[in-house]
Amino acid sequence: MNWLQELARRLFYLGRQTSFNHELEDEIEFHIDARAEELEETGMSRQDARQQARREFGSSVRMKEQTRAAWQVHWLEDLQSDLRYGLRALARNPGFAAAAIFSLALGIGANTTIFSLTTEFLFSQPSCRNAETLASMIIGGNSHAYMPHYRFLRDAHIFEGLAGSNEESESNWRFGNDTYRLNVMRVTDNFFRVVGAPVAMGRPIEPGERDVVVLSDRFWRVRLAADPNVVGRALIIDGRPYTVSGVLPRNHRTVLGFGFAPEMYVPVSRESDIVALIARLPEGMSLPAAYARLVATCKQLDKVYPPDSGPGSSWTNNVEVVPVAGMERLKSLNIIPFAAFFGMLMIVVGLVLLIACANVSSLLLARASARRQELAIRLAIGAGRGRIVRQLLAESLLLALLGTCAGLILNLWLSGVMNRVQLPLPLPMQLLIQPDWRLLLYSIAVAGTSALVAGLMPALKATREGVSAALKLTERQVGGRWTLRNALVVGQLAVSVVLLTTGFLFVRNMTKSMTMSPGFDVEQTVWAYMRLVPEKYTTTEQFERLVRNALADLRALPGVEAASIARVVPFNNNSIRGGEIRTDLSHQPVPVRFHNNDVSPNYFRTMGISLLEGRDFSSSDRRGSSEVAIVNESLARHLFGDRDPVGHTFWYPGPPLSPPVTIVGVVKNSKYFTLGEDNPQAMYTPYLQGGDKYDDGHFMVRSLRPRDVVKEVAQTLGRLDASAAIEVKPMRDAMGFAFLPSRIGAALLGSMGLLGLALASIGLYGVLAYSVSRRIREIGLRIALGADRGAIVGMVVRQSMALVIVGITIGLGIAAFATRPLAMFLVPEVSSTDPATFLGVVAVLLAVAFAATLGPALRAVRVDPMTALRYE
Amino acid sequence: MREPTIPEFLPGTLYMLILRTLARGPLHGYAISRRIKESSEEALAIEEGSLYPALNRMLVKGWLTAEWGISENNRKARFYKLTAEGRKRLVREYGQFDRLIRAIQLVMRSA
Repeated sequence: MNWLQELARRLFYLGRQTSFNHELEDEIEFHIDARAEELEETGMSRQDARQQARREFGSSVRMKEQTRAAWQVHWLEDLQSDLRYGLRALARNPGFAAAAIFSLALGIGANTTIFSLTTEFLFSQPSCRNAETLASMIIGGNSHAYMPHYRFLRDAHIFEGLAGSNEESESNWRFGNDTYRLNVMRVTDNFFRVVGAPVAMGRPIEPGERDVVVLSDRFWRVRLAADPNVVGRALIIDGRPYTVSGVLPRNHRTVLGFGFAPEMYVPVSRESDIVALIARLPEGMSLPAAYARLVATCKQLDKVYPPDSGPGSSWTNNVEVVPVAGMERLKSLNIIPFAAFFGMLMIVVGLVLLIACANVSSLLLARASARRQELAIRLAIGAGRGRIVRQLLAESLLLALLGTCAGLILNLWLSGVMNRVQLPLPLPMQLLIQPDWRLLLYSIAVAGTSALVAGLMPALKATREGVSAALKLTERQVGGRWTLRNALVVGQLAVSVVLLTTGFLFVRNMTKSMTMSPGFDVEQTVWAYMRLVPEKYTTTEQFERLVRNALADLRALPGVEAASIARVVPFNNNSIRGGEIRTDLSHQPVPVRFHNNDVSPNYFRTMGISLLEGRDFSSSDRRGSSEVAIVNESLARHLFGDRDPVGHTFWYPGPPLSPPVTIVGVVKNSKYFTLGEDNPQAMYTPYLQGGDKYDDGHFMVRSLRPRDVVKEVAQTLGRLDASAAIEVKPMRDAMGFAFLPSRIGAALLGSMGLLGLALASIGLYGVLAYSVSRRIREIGLRIALGADRGAIVGMVVRQSMALVIVGITIGLGIAAFATRPLAMFLVPEVSSTDPATFLGVVAVLLAVAFAATLGPALRAVRVDPMTALRYE
Repeated sequence: MREPTIPEFLPGTLYMLILRTLARGPLHGYAISRRIKESSEEALAIEEGSLYPALNRMLVKGWLTAEWGISENNRKARFYKLTAEGRKRLVREYGQFDRLIRAIQLVMRSA
């Protein structure tokens, strides 16, 4: 790195040129004095000696010049003077500079904000020590492991440490007279040791501790009013006192990532809990080596705790070792559609920036033709073309840098907005977008690229023509009908058609999503969520008694038409089963993949899902009675074709001797987890038949006036168990999560489309206004000769429309193909080649183009022939 | 009368001579030219016009460092000092120079 040190020394010199010059003077003075003293010693007079010494030294000017040259960095000093010159040029033309910087600021602000969002969402590092030696582990294909299995692996000591966490956990917090449901992260007692997540206050959970919690910064601020003495305070969680041992810093990021932000970390307390495994690898251990160790230990685990999914299965199946950050993690999480969405966003904001750069290019071209003579003179007196191109590029670099600074301010503001947004998600989420070195590097790259993209073409064009030709022409005489600027505007319009089409598609997707029926009634249903303290319900009987009482009480409420309970709430929980099932009609197993829900009688009536064949579940479908199921149309057709499935039986995958399940009914298809799904298969089984005991109950209540019964429903359930956390809301309000993807898509892409359109229309306006200003003499002459005003307006409008129509045609051609892949993000009911979308885009673009034409056209009409003819 | 200056046909010789002169300890510019003149029995003289640019180029390359100090006659003077880098450079330059001189001598003797 010698050249780097050398550059550093040169840069240091740049910073102290004045003192360097002084020092050189002193040194020369000393040299001459020393020589003079020596001569004096040989017997010369003092005066003669000095004169002689000076003569010997010769002219010091050339020598000083050469000495300074030893230190200079030529390109840097050229750049410095180019930038200084550029700054003066911009200051002389503040309107031009403001327009260019504004365009770039919008483009770069949008671009870097999406970049920040993407890196935060997909590539943020969890809060931990040495993320590179931390890895998530999966055994037997299961995302989570049971506590005994976890302990077995931990005690095998195959890694430096092995911890577990369960992110989808809830707890009831008793505060005053109210009980709140909290999203908590249940972690093994060594979790903080292994992961090394820092705390802002107090200390983390230590091995061996059971009744302590670590709070999130948000919980501490919002729920506990930022109590400064919070460490040591007791909180009643799930009926037991816990001591607050610490508070996490504000910028804590969980290992799960994606902005997931639990309200507190609580030690795992139950044997039945399951945990996702996370290991700290010893320094230098590779992932394959860790994998091999884990597989070897899983073989031993098979002997102690054989897996229960039947013969032939083993914990060594589907073992995965995945780093906690980076691309590998994204691949293993199977969220490529997510990544694709962000990829598309990056392309879209790239196009927006391209339009902004074209605006700047266009402005630079206009200015270059105004400065044509200045440049020609500089060329004539011997400036090299490369030197002038470099100087013009320095100007666009200056614009790009200023635009980037303004864009970054926009970025910080938008990131702040996004950090504050509370999304309606089943799990709490909090984005923590902060400016970091990635943003800095990216912004530098964006500024450099924008400077080149916007500046290179105008700079080359400005210096292309010969000196004599340029000197002869005056500004007015330059340029034909189809200039480069026109081509740029056509390009901008075409790109903005593509952006608008994308935005339109997503907006239509949103309106369609919001208005389409999900296959059940969201207007007259209420969802009451009751989270129980697990320790209070030790037996299935206790739990079933609570459910029966609750349903009976709810049905008795005035205004309630029907009530039921379900294990899965559509759009809020996802439960999918897959495998091969056999029916009594086909002895060949049929592969299936269906949404699965356990519901009580009256569920279909409550939700407004029509029963097409057979019967609803009844109270006789209970534990011990013969197993029954209701399927939806898709699953019925898949299993039985056109035959009526009611009365037929099937067997679940697994041990062959399991009792058959009888299909008692068929219900209409509906949506289950996303609005984007296209009639997936679904199966319902009776809630109380499986004999399961849950920590929570999702009661569905049907009422003509859902908002009026919310309070009574909550009170009714609260009377049954005061320790339970109860949340009641109309189903319409609980649909936020379902609408979220389409809303986010519409908000992001719709605004990008509008931004692109705005920038392109500024470009169109600029070109038209410039062309009118250049033709003022011609227009004045026409008016003087008797042309009527309509003809003048027509002239401007014709020019505008020629550009717009060419732009739209090219843009539509590209959009027709470019928007095809977007179908993966849209609900099936919206087609990416929908003519309505394209018509809408054309209409919007024509309207905006007309508005952009209006100003220049009016200016042309108002031209006063007398002034115009004198105009020069 | 001016003394003959350092031969131009061997580029880089000036650097080598300066490095060698400074190998014994830090010196200021005037002392360097003095020392070279004395050691060469007045056969070699460095033009002041090329001494200081050369010293500065060597500073940029990191072979030397410079520091203000007090001269033998109690004046403020700039002293140049060899760095480790400069010492390595001297060995290399001298090796190359030596080989070149030998080669020239071989040619001259055989002819």
